[in-house]
Amino acid sequence: MNEPIRIPLPKLSRLYQKAGLDAVRSKLASAGRLTAFPEQSVVADHPGISDDQAEQYRRLLGGEAFDKAHRLSLPSVLLHIAGFPVQMALMSRDAFPLPLMGMVHLSNEVLHSQPVGAGTPLQILARADHFAPHRRGTQADVIIEIYPAGMDIATAGPADCLYSSTSRYLGMGTYLFPKEEGSSSPREDFTPPPKTALWTLGSDAGRQYAAVSGDYNPIHLSGVTAKALGQKRAIVHGMYLAARMLEGREPESAGHRWDITFEAPVGLPGKVAFAAEQVDEKTQQFVGWDPRKGRRHFSGKLALP
Amino acid sequence: MAETPRDAVIIGGNRIPFARAHGAYAKSSNQDMLTSALNGLVARYGLQGEQLGAVAGGAVLKHSKNFNLVRESALGTPLDPKTPAYDVQMACATGTEAIGSLANKIKLGQIDSAIGGGVDSISDAPIVVSDQLRGILMEATRAKTAGQRLKALAKIRPAHLAPQAPGTGEPRTGLSMGEHMAVTANKWGITREEQDELAVASHRNLAAAYESGFFNDLISPFKGLSADNNMRADSSVDKLAKLSPVFGKDLGESATMTAANSTPLTDGASAVLLGSEEWADAHDLPKLANFVDYEQGAVDFVDGAEGLLMAPTYAAARMLKRNNLTFEDFEYFEIHEAFASTVLAQMKAWESEDFCRDVLGLDKPLGSIDRSKLNVNGSSLAAGHPFAATGGRIVATLAKLLYGKPGKRGFISVCAAGGQGITAIIEGR
Repeated sequence: MNEPIRIPLPKLSRLYQKAGLDAVRSKLASAGRLTAFPEQSVVADHPGISDDQAEQYRRLLGGEAFDKAHRLSLPSVLLHIAGFPVQMALMSRDAFPLPLMGMVHLSNEVLHSQPVGAGTPLQILARADHFAPHRRGTQADVIIEIYPAGMDIATAGPADCLYSSTSRYLGMGTYLFPKEEGSSSPREDFTPPPKTALWTLGSDAGRQYAAVSGDYNPIHLSGVTAKALGQKRAIVHGMYLAARMLEGREPESAGHRWDITFEAPVGLPGKVAFAAEQVDEKTQQFVGWDPRKGRRHFSGKLALP
Repeated sequence: MAETPRDAVIIGGNRIPFARAHGAYAKSSNQDMLTSALNGLVARYGLQGEQLGAVAGGAVLKHSKNFNLVRESALGTPLDPKTPAYDVQMACATGTEAIGSLANKIKLGQIDSAIGGGVDSISDAPIVVSDQLRGILMEATRAKTAGQRLKALAKIRPAHLAPQAPGTGEPRTGLSMGEHMAVTANKWGITREEQDELAVASHRNLAAAYESGFFNDLISPFKGLSADNNMRADSSVDKLAKLSPVFGKDLGESATMTAANSTPLTDGASAVLLGSEEWADAHDLPKLANFVDYEQGAVDFVDGAEGLLMAPTYAAARMLKRNNLTFEDFEYFEIHEAFASTVLAQMKAWESEDFCRDVLGLDKPLGSIDRSKLNVNGSSLAAGHPFAATGGRIVATLAKLLYGKPGKRGFISVCAAGGQGITAIIEGR
């Protein structure tokens, strides 16, 4: 891998403006073919997640206070939030072949190796990998790795990485590979299990998560802004669902792995039926669905160390 | 159970009739109702000017101004104001916990007399401002200058002004109690028919008890009511069969819980007088029954490992073992009807060989409960369930049932929000 390009910690609002421009001018070189996969990674210094942001997150998602005595380790999704602008900066670089607008979050896989507390300065690295054909476009993995501030990332090993996350995205309608014919897979039958919780999401759930995460993607904010982007109504952030799925279940000492796969988006306002099931002593699996239509919104897993 | 120093005696009880929410007691506060229930008890047992050991009780839904609800209510009665009083809270088990812990104090000799009870009002529920508005108002309170105060108040948005009523959902799952129970009922295969039958029996038993005058010395009228106004003496399984399910609707055909086999939201209050044998004798008061023992239970319900309202099944197993008793040793069973399916699921669990062995760790099942001994004078489905008032209703009813039957025992089970519950043993005198 090339030496990562060091960038200042980006502002998401600027990146969304640029995404709008990119949507107008095609990113593709010519005839929609991918010329080269971007091998470049970017890295940014992060001053550390503030106590204020951690408290805001907790007020939205619940859980005990970050008293730094019994609860210090920040939730995985808060680390994802810290890394998200860097991920977005990578994806909005000209070398990144998929346009940011119309990008769909398919799944996320996380190894949260070490506890990270509020106020700990960090380095956040983002890189892309595994570009692959998808029946509705092209998918790509965007990987976030979080290291302690000041560490030489070039010589860092896996043990130094505090947190790593692989976000799989779909560049909808952008075919970088020959379009696969008839590859649409039949929808898997889903029979809802007995629910263990019911999440009631208000019409402001997207705005509330945006206020905590800084992710003001218009698709999450209101019916009007969502319609402008082709959705029927505002949909909640996928990572908000991940945050609720994990709330109260992540170990203080970290070392856990989790994943989530997104299916039908959750329209706002709406209700999500949720079921948690213990698979074995260390593993829980989760599923969220529309209690009226029985359509699956997401499924996920948490494995404790 | 090991010999206790002395008996805690149930002397009597009093409650106001329970009223369906937003009806007869729509304009009564928790303090109004609890004071009335206490006044009735004081009058019945001649406690005017009496300094008791303690008055304890509570309400599940409580205004912040009622921080001393029970003390304020007691001060509104002719009891000696030197009687200490305090609030207890354990959701729907509040009344039972208050009575149980007072009985323990009497057994230990710490106090000689006490009143335990509870009250709840849905009609006068504490409505509060939103978290955002409260945050802004508090910020304005902390402001040192007028400018800072204005800056804080300028953050108020119309959406912040919407009042918030207390929800019936479990905070950690977002599911209402009925939805939780629907999952448990489905898991235990509780049928619609058996739930409706239990509901009808509750109404008929309660009506028959009123008819026979059983409640004459257990209830004092309030606001024009002299009997529980949820009671339907003419209730029948055919009528109930026509109702549509209200909980567990996502179970489709398997949904079984209706408005009739679920307890309605109710307003009401109850109180029970306890004392040592010597105190009762010195005051020439009746001794209906002994409060023998009680046990709290809690289950891990958050991710569905156990049903929300199943804690009494666990508490019962421990309590019976400690007292070296089985279900065969009981004359009456009072299982609080939060929902008909709650009673049926608890009973199925106690009958289940697998559940009793694998989950409760017992050698053999606790066994089945004879229906002719169950809730013989009606229970919450008919009477209603003003959360914290239910314990007092049950203890007083059961004590009176056991009066004149020395050594005969009664069993109590009360489930509560938060995956908790209480079981208790009462013995007739």
